Amino acid sequence: MVLVTVFIGLAATTAVAPLLASRLGRAAGWPLAAAFAALTALTATQAPAVLAGQAVEFSWAWIPSIDAAFRLRLDGLGLLFTVLVLGIGALIMAYCARYFDAKSSQSRFYTLMGIFAVAMLGLVLADDLLLLFVFWELTSICSFFLIGGAGDKAVEPARRALVVTAGGGLALLAAVALLSVQTGTTQLSTILADPGWTEGWTGPLVAVLVIIAAITKSGQVPFHFWLPGAMAASTPVSAYLHAAAMVKAGIYLLMRFSPVFHDMPLWNGVLVLVGLATAIYGAALALKQTDLKSLAAMSTVSQLGYLVAIIGVGTSYALAAAAVHTLAHALFKASLFMMVGVVDNQTGTRDLHRLGGLRRLMPASAVITALAALSAAGVPPLLGFYSKEKMFAGFVDADGPVWAGPLLGLLAVVAAVLTFGYCARFWFGVFGGPLSERTDVREAPAPFLLAPAITGAAGALLGVGVVTLAPFAERITADTGFPGAGVEIHLIPGLSVDLGMSVVAIALGILLHLRREQAGALLDRVRTPFTGDGVFDRAMAGFVAAGSRAGGLTRTFSPAAHLPPAIVLLGVLSAAALWWGTPVGPLQELLVRPTDWIVVGCVAVAVLAAVVVRTRISAVVLLGVVGALMGLWFLLLGAVDVALTQLVVEVLTVVVLVLVLRRLPSRFHSTGTLRRSLAAVLAVGAGALAAGGTLLLTNRRELSEVSRWLMANSKEETGGINVVNTILVDFRALDTLGEVTVVGLAALGILALLRTTSLTGSAAIELTGGTRPEDDPVDNTIVVRTVGRIMAPAIVLLSLYMLFRGHNAHGGGFIGALVAGAGLCLAHAAAPDPRRSLVRRIPYVPVIAGGLALAVVTGLLGYLVGGGFLTPFPIELGFTYISSAVVFDVGVYLIVVGAVVAALHRLAIAELLEDDAAPPGAASRPADDTQYPMVAVGSGGRDSEEGEL
Amino acid sequence: MIATALPLVFAAPLLASAILMVVHRPIWARRAVLVGTVGAVLAYGVVLVAATNGGTVLVADIGLWPGGIAIPFVADMFSALMVTATALLTLVCVAFGIVAGEDEQHYFAPFVLALYGGVAGALLTGDLFNLFVCIEVMLLPSYVLISMFGGENRLKAGRIYITYNLLASAVFLFGVAFVYGVIGTVNFAELAGAAKESTAVAVAMGVVLVALAMKSGVVPVHGWLPRTYPETSPAIAAIFSGLHTKVGIYAIYRLYALVYDGDERFLGFAVLFMCLTMAFGAMSAVGEDTIRSVLAFNMVSGIGYILLGVALFGPLGLAAGIFYLLHHMVVKTSLFLSAGAVEVRYGTQRLDELGGLAGREPLLAFAFVGAALSLIGMPPFSGFAGKFVLLQASFAESAYFAAFIILAASLLTLLSMGRVWNSVFWGPVRREPDDTTGTAAVTGAADTDAVVAGNGEGGAVLQKRRTHAKATSPLTHVSPALAAPALVLTLVSLGIGLGAEGLLNLTQQAAAGLTDTSSYIEAVIGR
Amino acid sequence: MTAAILAGVLVAGGVYLVLQRGLIRMAFGVILLGHAANVVLLAAGGLYRREAALIDQIAAVQAAADPLPQAFVLTAIVITFGVTVYLVALAGSGSGDDTEETT
Repeated sequence: MVLVTVFIGLAATTAVAPLLASRLGRAAGWPLAAAFAALTALTATQAPAVLAGQAVEFSWAWIPSIDAAFRLRLDGLGLLFTVLVLGIGALIMAYCARYFDAKSSQSRFYTLMGIFAVAMLGLVLADDLLLLFVFWELTSICSFFLIGGAGDKAVEPARRALVVTAGGGLALLAAVALLSVQTGTTQLSTILADPGWTEGWTGPLVAVLVIIAAITKSGQVPFHFWLPGAMAASTPVSAYLHAAAMVKAGIYLLMRFSPVFHDMPLWNGVLVLVGLATAIYGAALALKQTDLKSLAAMSTVSQLGYLVAIIGVGTSYALAAAAVHTLAHALFKASLFMMVGVVDNQTGTRDLHRLGGLRRLMPASAVITALAALSAAGVPPLLGFYSKEKMFAGFVDADGPVWAGPLLGLLAVVAAVLTFGYCARFWFGVFGGPLSERTDVREAPAPFLLAPAITGAAGALLGVGVVTLAPFAERITADTGFPGAGVEIHLIPGLSVDLGMSVVAIALGILLHLRREQAGALLDRVRTPFTGDGVFDRAMAGFVAAGSRAGGLTRTFSPAAHLPPAIVLLGVLSAAALWWGTPVGPLQELLVRPTDWIVVGCVAVAVLAAVVVRTRISAVVLLGVVGALMGLWFLLLGAVDVALTQLVVEVLTVVVLVLVLRRLPSRFHSTGTLRRSLAAVLAVGAGALAAGGTLLLTNRRELSEVSRWLMANSKEETGGINVVNTILVDFRALDTLGEVTVVGLAALGILALLRTTSLTGSAAIELTGGTRPEDDPVDNTIVVRTVGRIMAPAIVLLSLYMLFRGHNAHGGGFIGALVAGAGLCLAHAAAPDPRRSLVRRIPYVPVIAGGLALAVVTGLLGYLVGGGFLTPFPIELGFTYISSAVVFDVGVYLIVVGAVVAALHRLAIAELLEDDAAPPGAASRPADDTQYPMVAVGSGGRDSEEGEL
Repeated sequence: MIATALPLVFAAPLLASAILMVVHRPIWARRAVLVGTVGAVLAYGVVLVAATNGGTVLVADIGLWPGGIAIPFVADMFSALMVTATALLTLVCVAFGIVAGEDEQHYFAPFVLALYGGVAGALLTGDLFNLFVCIEVMLLPSYVLISMFGGENRLKAGRIYITYNLLASAVFLFGVAFVYGVIGTVNFAELAGAAKESTAVAVAMGVVLVALAMKSGVVPVHGWLPRTYPETSPAIAAIFSGLHTKVGIYAIYRLYALVYDGDERFLGFAVLFMCLTMAFGAMSAVGEDTIRSVLAFNMVSGIGYILLGVALFGPLGLAAGIFYLLHHMVVKTSLFLSAGAVEVRYGTQRLDELGGLAGREPLLAFAFVGAALSLIGMPPFSGFAGKFVLLQASFAESAYFAAFIILAASLLTLLSMGRVWNSVFWGPVRREPDDTTGTAAVTGAADTDAVVAGNGEGGAVLQKRRTHAKATSPLTHVSPALAAPALVLTLVSLGIGLGAEGLLNLTQQAAAGLTDTSSYIEAVIGR
Repeated sequence: MTAAILAGVLVAGGVYLVLQRGLIRMAFGVILLGHAANVVLLAAGGLYRREAALIDQIAAVQAAADPLPQAFVLTAIVITFGVTVYLVALAGSGSGDDTEETT
């Protein structure tokens, strides 16, 4: 329960942080620090149990189906990191209370820091890998906002930090997924307790993934560059991030997985290599820095390299050393960073060139800094000395070939010498030497120094009382894979190799400091040809360019350019199907009748002609011919309704096409030969595909079962003998409902489209012709009009007849409506003037809406009467019954008629009338407006409102 | 009773659409019908999820014709989840449309309703030809909605969208014809397992799958998507992102499970395609220059993730894919709505014209960053759970390459979304809100007129108004109401992430319905 | 055989046209593709039965053409009609039917 109390306590503290901050400003740091400290103490109460080997656990179901749970577990390793997270957290919070500008509101900062702490705490306590991953990425996200929130210059560093650390987190996610698949659980302790999964290549794969996650997070070469960049954040953030949070997460993860990997050569090799390289490289860079904060940052890189390498060594001794050094590093690094902030605040600069000689003006600061720097440099009797000595011993005793131990020891000493050098540089740069030009610098107030003083003192006290750490180190060694391995820590080290190494390191370190000028010159000559930031930015630019090219492949507004990939894809897949072989049945006999060939031949000629003609109108004519031939084809197949529909649709399509074509150039746009040839190749290929598919996949079976049933039962079930029609209005009325909806919406779509976009060009029909009789639009259409006047009503009647007889003979709502549409076209053409067209008098939007509503409502009535949607039911008309399907068909009829009228009106008439609304003197004859006032008044509103009522 | 009502999900939006074609005023009544209809479908979707819990399959035979003859509307857990999710997204997008003033366009409401009717029909139908019809009902309003807000680019986008989809529809129709030609039925349940038994059916149905892949935006047939989505109006882009490609994906899942019965012969091939889609989409997104085109390419990438689930098949893969599908719908829509809110108020979506919005639009910034993190796969938002289960499935099927691509594409997504965040929300403020666009034009105009009309002390009033505007406007320009839709969905994503178990459980049931299709077949044709 | 050739010719013509410049030509291509789909749909029912499906008595079943694909084709024709009309209107709006970027 304690665990969950601590966790919830921290979360609650975070939750009130914004409130506190808005009330107290920066001083909110004090109560927050108190809360952190209390939680640290609460955790510490568990220490006896933990040291006795009894881990404290808590579990709460989270995602049972993948056996992920909210599991917390406090063992020795967890205890160390928890105390760091909370304890250092408390000190940082206390430090913040004086660090920030007194007047500034820091509620965003305190909230983010709180979440950061929660994430870190959860990370080190999680006994569930998925949970660990959640907190892992949460720390990356928090740091992203903490860094990026610092100002415009911090934006790029924040992105680098996020990409590197969160990207590494993805590797962790993969490891978690792989482990959960292999073991069936995400419980960390279970997985580590049963390393059966390390067999095969799951083990190495997980090891690599964990290493990637850890070294990105802990800023190891070659991913170290984000860490110095993160300096853009405010100093408390840096202090926390470097000492206890974020970068320590990688160390934690490595130690956590040490039990299963510590004897895997891959693990040892990679970690030691990366770690020592980072340790030396980081320390060398630290020597070059002139900005105090950057120096401290590079020091972190280097020290973490040490830790990674020693974990990689993987012996019990090495892991004990890692545990102690983690603690030592947290203490001195927190001190150093906080002192950077103190110096920065008191002097206004962090530049080593402008600092110096402050030991007299800031004596307390000088002492605190000295404690931290000496610990970092590994000078006795500070904690850093003991931890480093342990590490030396660990390196020297490394498993492996004979030369490995001495070599690693040598490299470790090199890193230690450099470390001594930059620590000396840090302290002497600020406090030693002559006073720089500033003399008005004052010592920082005591509350400001409190936190760094505590960490500094702790480093000294723990150094003196280092033996008390032995049980902790032993416990952690047990938790990292070596239960029962004893850890000996002596206050006074005996004469040993590692002591010798320490002495050598310190002696050479002093020498290095004395010869710092020469060393600096030497380092300046060594220049890396590239920097991490530079590589990252170049890679980023490269990605942007490559992405732009990849996106550019389809970056065209030409619709035709988007079609070929689909056709090619189909071709490839079909080729694959052919190559594999697709067994099909034998062809049915009696397939082909001689008359078929006539249609096929005519279609081929017409299509070819339609493809090559250059003028639009001839293409339309040829298309009409093809459409008519299709009708003939359908008729040959016995599909009478289809044939009728096809013919009428063809007429209407041509009418609409002509209405639009008169606004467009008379010839098609020309294209290049290459494009035409490519299109032709694709076309022939696609045609072959279609032909092949049809040949292979059709006409090879008996009448389908469903059709057999339909033919046998349609009369009995529906009362209609035209099976096709009964399918449309009864059996598959839903398809019909859908399709008429499409037609209705298409018509309304034209209206909607033309509300915001006008038709192109101008209609070629001239209302004002010449003076000759044949130019007069009223006179020269006399024949059409005469025929039309007689025929139009007849056609409308015919359409109604077709509508109602549909169930029993060829016809139905569609065909009826399309016939009516054709009639209306004729009536429209017969009108001497578009303004007098019959089309204008039909309120088409309500007709479409009403038809749709009627069809749906008829379907819904099926619920009431028949028990299901679209269930047909008989309707009593007094003298006879009709099926509700007929009413449904009336709805269909209305929609289609409405749609045809809408298209005619909007494409043919509306614009002309808008022209009329233009100022007087416009092209049309004013007489018309007075001559037909009723029409204009009656429908004027409708025209401007596009047919709405 | 619940089953009987299934067709209403198709019919009710159509009826509401018909009503709103002619009813213009009052505006609140229109909004009530629009929101009420979609809300009712949402409620019904939740009921469906509850009713199909435990593996029940609900069937409504349209017209009560015998099974195998009638067009069946079928709801199992998968379709119930999809109906619920699509209704939720439509509702949220409609709310955004109302706040942004897009529903002032008279045809917005009826078209959106008809579109949704088509979507719902496509999700529920158990008949291949009816699926074609429903997809057409969905598409026709889409053709119009893309172009009807005017502007040259919207017309161009509309042209691409319509021609491309017409080709896809033609391919679909060919596929239907081949399927019927080979086996003589278009009923899903009767087709069950047919493609596994007969290669001819597999080839015929393969044509249908290609058509669906075209509509889903799978690489290499994805090019239309990033050309069209960025050009539409904000609410429409969000609706499309949530619904359109997802219907195609749903159908691919359904058909591959039912008709191919998870046939393993083609799965390796499919995994390869999906890896290509994930990687190519994510890669392209990094190079884009506007918020929505980044999102559109990430969407292509997301489609690869989703369909990887079906390519891995098996209970784990399918559950992962469906989980990812639902997550992706929510998150993508949220992102499009955030982008839309920026566009409505700032008049641009170009990365190099925006900046520094994080400080000014905290709500919107949160909505965006939450959804972006979710998209990348960051906890605690839903994306990490989705990617986790997908990775699990990949490892379980030994598809290590796919796992690698999942991670690589996630990293690329991180790059592209990080680029958007840094340009738009951090850095220097590059652009002030454009008060002549969006809601300002709709709601602010009347106010200004009133002030100018009251000309007596007009100068003073105007002065006052200006100072007032100065005092209030720099705080935030995106009203909470405009940011709310995106925020709601981001919170949904957060909820799914934290309470992953709930949805995971449901998606596992949905997957179970796909791996074992016997109860589906039994419910529809009784064998 | 005839149906296959017919479908092939129509698809070839249709694909050629949809790959051309100008929305109107693309619309023509779509119309041809629609025809082709209808031809294949009817072929899927079987071309060896060619009597009209007006069934008054069971005997007629023997020779009647499969009615289901006919219903499909009817639906498809009407949908294609609707979409084509909209497409044609789109071609005739704005700056015209040219689909190429500023030439």
